[in-house]
Amino acid sequence: MRPRGKAEGRLWLRALEILQELSFCDCTILSMSQRGEHQESKKKLEISPSETMKAEEESYKEENKEPKSEDWRPPSVFGAVGLYNIGQTCCLNSLLQVFFMNIHFTKILRRISVPVCGTQKKKNVPYQMLLLLEKMQCGKQKAVSPKELAICLVAHGVTMFVQYDAAQLFLTLWNLLKKQMKNPELVEKLSDLYTISVQEHLTCQTCSSETKRNSSMLTLPVSLLDSDSHMLKTLEECLQCFFRPEELTGHNMCFCEHCGKKTPFQQSVKLVHLPQTLTIHLKRFCFGRSAYIHKISSCLPFPQDLDFNAVLTEQQCQAYDNEKAAWQYELFAVVAHSGSTSYGHYCAYIRSLTECKWYCFNDSLVEQVSWDDVKSTYGHSDLSWGQTAYLLFYMRKHRQ
Amino acid sequence: MAQWQEMQQLPPTHLERVHQLYTNAALPMTVRQSLADWIEDQDWQQAAEPFSSHARMLFHSLLTLLGEQQGSLGPGDEDFMLKHNLRKARIDLQAAFEEHPENFANLVANLLQEERCILRRAQAKGQVETPPAPSTAPQNSQEQEIQQRLAEFRTALQEAERAFRHMEDLQDTFDFSYKMYYMPGQDHSHDPQYAQHVQALQAKLQSLDRQRRILSLQEVVAQIQQLLGRSETLRDFLQQELSAWRERQQRSCLGAPTDTCLLQLQGWFTALGEGLFQLLQLLRAVGELRQKVTYEQDPLQSELPLLEKRLLEQLTCLLQSAFVVEQQPCMPNTPKRPLVLRTANKFCTRARLLVRLHDRNHRMEANIHIDRDPPKTRGFRKFNILTSSSKTVLVGDSPREGLVCDFQYLTLKEQKGGGSGKGSRGTNEGPLAVTEELHLITFTLAYAYCGLELKLETSTLPFVIISNNNQLSSAWASVLWFNMLSPNPKDQQFFSTPPPAPWPRLAEVLSWQFQSTAERGLSREHLHMLAEKLFGSKPSPESALPWTKFSKDGAAGFSFWAWLDGILALLHDHLKQLWKDGLILGFVSRKQERKLLKVKRSGTFLIRFSESMLGGVTCTWVEHPESGPPAFRAVVPYTAAELASLALPDIIRDYQLLAEENIPENPLLFLYPDIARDEAFGPYYSQRHEGILTKKKEYLNQRLIRVSSRQPHETWQTEEELVVATEDLETLQLKSGGQQPVSPGTVPGGGRTPRTPQAVSPGLQQVVAAVPVLPSLQQLGSGDLGVLQTGMGDLGPPVVLQLLQVGPGAQGVLPMGSSAIGPLLGSDAAELLLDNGAVGLQPSGLGELEGLPLQEPALEVGAGQLEAVELLPTLDDSAVLLDSSDPFLPQPEDAALPATASLFTADGDFPALHIDASDFQ
Repeated sequence: MRPRGKAEGRLWLRALEILQELSFCDCTILSMSQRGEHQESKKKLEISPSETMKAEEESYKEENKEPKSEDWRPPSVFGAVGLYNIGQTCCLNSLLQVFFMNIHFTKILRRISVPVCGTQKKKNVPYQMLLLLEKMQCGKQKAVSPKELAICLVAHGVTMFVQYDAAQLFLTLWNLLKKQMKNPELVEKLSDLYTISVQEHLTCQTCSSETKRNSSMLTLPVSLLDSDSHMLKTLEECLQCFFRPEELTGHNMCFCEHCGKKTPFQQSVKLVHLPQTLTIHLKRFCFGRSAYIHKISSCLPFPQDLDFNAVLTEQQCQAYDNEKAAWQYELFAVVAHSGSTSYGHYCAYIRSLTECKWYCFNDSLVEQVSWDDVKSTYGHSDLSWGQTAYLLFYMRKHRQ
Repeated sequence: MAQWQEMQQLPPTHLERVHQLYTNAALPMTVRQSLADWIEDQDWQQAAEPFSSHARMLFHSLLTLLGEQQGSLGPGDEDFMLKHNLRKARIDLQAAFEEHPENFANLVANLLQEERCILRRAQAKGQVETPPAPSTAPQNSQEQEIQQRLAEFRTALQEAERAFRHMEDLQDTFDFSYKMYYMPGQDHSHDPQYAQHVQALQAKLQSLDRQRRILSLQEVVAQIQQLLGRSETLRDFLQQELSAWRERQQRSCLGAPTDTCLLQLQGWFTALGEGLFQLLQLLRAVGELRQKVTYEQDPLQSELPLLEKRLLEQLTCLLQSAFVVEQQPCMPNTPKRPLVLRTANKFCTRARLLVRLHDRNHRMEANIHIDRDPPKTRGFRKFNILTSSSKTVLVGDSPREGLVCDFQYLTLKEQKGGGSGKGSRGTNEGPLAVTEELHLITFTLAYAYCGLELKLETSTLPFVIISNNNQLSSAWASVLWFNMLSPNPKDQQFFSTPPPAPWPRLAEVLSWQFQSTAERGLSREHLHMLAEKLFGSKPSPESALPWTKFSKDGAAGFSFWAWLDGILALLHDHLKQLWKDGLILGFVSRKQERKLLKVKRSGTFLIRFSESMLGGVTCTWVEHPESGPPAFRAVVPYTAAELASLALPDIIRDYQLLAEENIPENPLLFLYPDIARDEAFGPYYSQRHEGILTKKKEYLNQRLIRVSSRQPHETWQTEEELVVATEDLETLQLKSGGQQPVSPGTVPGGGRTPRTPQAVSPGLQQVVAAVPVLPSLQQLGSGDLGVLQTGMGDLGPPVVLQLLQVGPGAQGVLPMGSSAIGPLLGSDAAELLLDNGAVGLQPSGLGELEGLPLQEPALEVGAGQLEAVELLPTLDDSAVLLDSSDPFLPQPEDAALPATASLFTADGDFPALHIDASDFQ
């Protein structure tokens, strides 16, 4: 009864192939979405930023500020809007929500200049993100589709409909954003918002000569295992482990210019600066003894409040007291992964910075949750398919 | 209530939102108001789908209804306005949505949803403002949270199911059209209609894909994702509650007063299990739907297996943890001490599956195994469970019952032979004592439900197997230690390196022992004393007691636990009520005892446990001599053997102290801190058989009392037990003796002079301390109530204490053969049981008494009482003297005094009866 025979199936498949092909072609997508309200609201948006935007942007009266016509703000469930999964985009959706819920980021995004011509508009990632944000904030729907942004990303070599590693996609997205923001001031603001500065030290154990190198990173990739492959108990321990000096001996020895030969080295990373939004990447996917990658699903609690001064020792920092005083962080978002390495699902737990309430963004579904729900992403060694925190976003606390 | 009506009753703040909602909405509030019920009854969500013919139909129905409404209105002024508004709305709507009625459906659907949202928020707020009705049992926040989450879970599940049904309808429509129009086998090249159909089919397919991607995937799959995420939190909560229960059960095994009812947990686990199974079915249905029509890069293809795996894992995890041992193995005859089993004794244990879901067609069988993975310890005993080790799980129909496997009448039998039996233990001795060997029973259950098959397993707490009742106490010590300290509830090797117990933890557990045995735990003072005893003078919260010190070594020849267990047994058998009511101070060190009593008036006493012997209880009282420091006196501890014949309240009631001068008195006047003795102990005195006066008595009544006698130069006095014959209890006024107005400080200082009746009555303690003038005591007989009189010349037979009515003027005076005291003066803890028939001669002559054979004096020598042993010959002598076969016992003048003399001369340990006045200062 079901259309599964070969002969029947062919036309069937063909129809779908067409559909798939079309979905990569802008015109079809537009024609498809013209029926819905998406397009309408999008058009509206181009002329009128939402009220929220106005509220947030009191100080940023910038180029795309236009007269307001609408007073009515959609009373959507929690003020947060979901993003439809248009085919394995849960990872992208989760990251987008984390970006959009970060008011420090949206402040920057709102100031971007609108590209002049149509094709540029379509290919500009920051602009498409802004459009999506506006669509989310002004639409009457409980969820919107990130189709245009997805198309735009495809144009920049980000393939869709594949499983992504959230940490990798985060870097890709961020780099695209940075590259395509024309205003150097905004680029700097964006860098300031996310980049961590560290100093790498390499000390020769024989002659004590030291080489330093400053570097910056977007995420702190912390391992869940210590150097002896024992599970670490808490996030604080993971961070300590990350900043712990490492002895490079045996075939890890480096060439020392002073000694003129390979000598054992001590390698250490010292923390110089932490940004407003600190991203911590829990390296849950790792190589086992065999070449195959497995996921560590064991429990790793992370705190709501994180004080780096309590975590790191004097020697592990390379910062002034002024800087250190600002190292007080509060958990802002968790991107959680469920499933295995080969396929899985992402969702985001985000604490609204304005309401101070936690929400769970599961593609199109947005629900208010409690801290207990966030805690369920600590992981559980018995549940290999359960959800585990993968990316942690901490927000710097306001200085008193 | 209809949604719109509810909306109108919202508080102003929320009403404001409603107004806001409709300010710019394309649907005027007038329309919403006048067609409220109809609007709410329609499925706008479904109509909002593209290509929906439903939308057009609804839109036109609405316009028609508006027209009717308009027509039905009267010509009144108010109605005129309404009429106008309705008319305008009708025209506006028609103009705006004629082309795209689905947009209108979408609009209405969204509005209704927002309304519901506002309502929900208003209600949530209302709930916060008004606390739950006081009639409901107070629940803690965690319980409320669980209830709320379960309710949310159910609602979300229903929503997901509804979304799924919608998707199913959509697919059915497609299937139908597909079968109708798509016929690839025939030649259709010249059929223009066919091409059209195929086109329509493609359009439908596109729509279906869109539906799938945006609706089905989002509404069902995302909902399931979300549900799974939330159920994980919920399961975490339940797990927490369950581990709290496990902890409670462990504590209750140790005697803690906790609630170990599983009903609430069962309800929660069942609710979540039910929800997850429903979700599983939904997921499978979605999977079937996918199989009907599939295509490349179908979003469902990769999502579904992941979801199912995640869900099954959750279910497995939930079910595994839901299988619990509800009742730990316990012998019915020792219900207070579970986890100690004796070979060949019956015991029972019960497991329960908290998820009350089962397949009636599938018989579930539970099995038990003992020591499935026995530790590889040399000499570890092996046992078999006798009677059947498998049982079908019974399913009760009422919700209170659950899936229970109840194993009763189990017995254990040790496996003999093969070198592992007990017989070979001598040669093959394991490193652990029998009472330190821990065993486990494992329950297994083959569970099957909704296609999920699992083997569930749970284990009891480790228990100790003994073969003799005398091992019970030390076995229980092991159970206490394990459950108090083991971090792993299955660690059978725990006693290979038992950790020390931190004092605060141990104190709590010890207190539970008293709580469960005698319904009163240990107070802070008790624990302080015990800590001092264990850790020396300064107990700190960090102090920890090693296992060996608890259960093995002890300075007094017995371990701390043996001592404590002795007290527990004593309490349980003889002193339960007194302990429960707090009359026994119990654990008081000598130092503390002095401190407490020093400031109290003379005759204040307290009851404490002996520290030097197993299961002993004693009374200590204070005496304030006229000069000098206060003296503290204590009797040799009573043990179960003594208490079996005479209960402690009765001992206290009739306790007599004999001083050198043989003035008997009860020194126990006030229970610490300041309660008159009879007030404190009155309710516990045993009922005395009242004699019937009219009836001629054959026998005198008998009563057993305890007497101590005092040696002036001894550190403390001796004690005996005597049976006192009473003839007429109505007139026996010993009780009133206890109520004598005794007011220390007002006693005239007549201590050293020969007694006069006046001097005796106010304070017996002074009498005791006085110079003994035995003959003069005769005079005491007349004036005083309840004075234990020692009469010398009047009484013929020695050794008999008689409580007799002396005469009208001297009720309840107890004349006493002085020789009765004489032979016993030096005896320590000796008990003489004298039959009531012992010939008693009474001064006032109550008539002829039949002389009855005097029983052999029963002599009990307290453990470690050397003096008593030495005294045996003397006592035997006195026994000879007391021989009742001779009804004509010698007169006291002849016999008693020499006997006394001989006692002291015979036993060199005792000083001559010499009273130095300075001794009493």
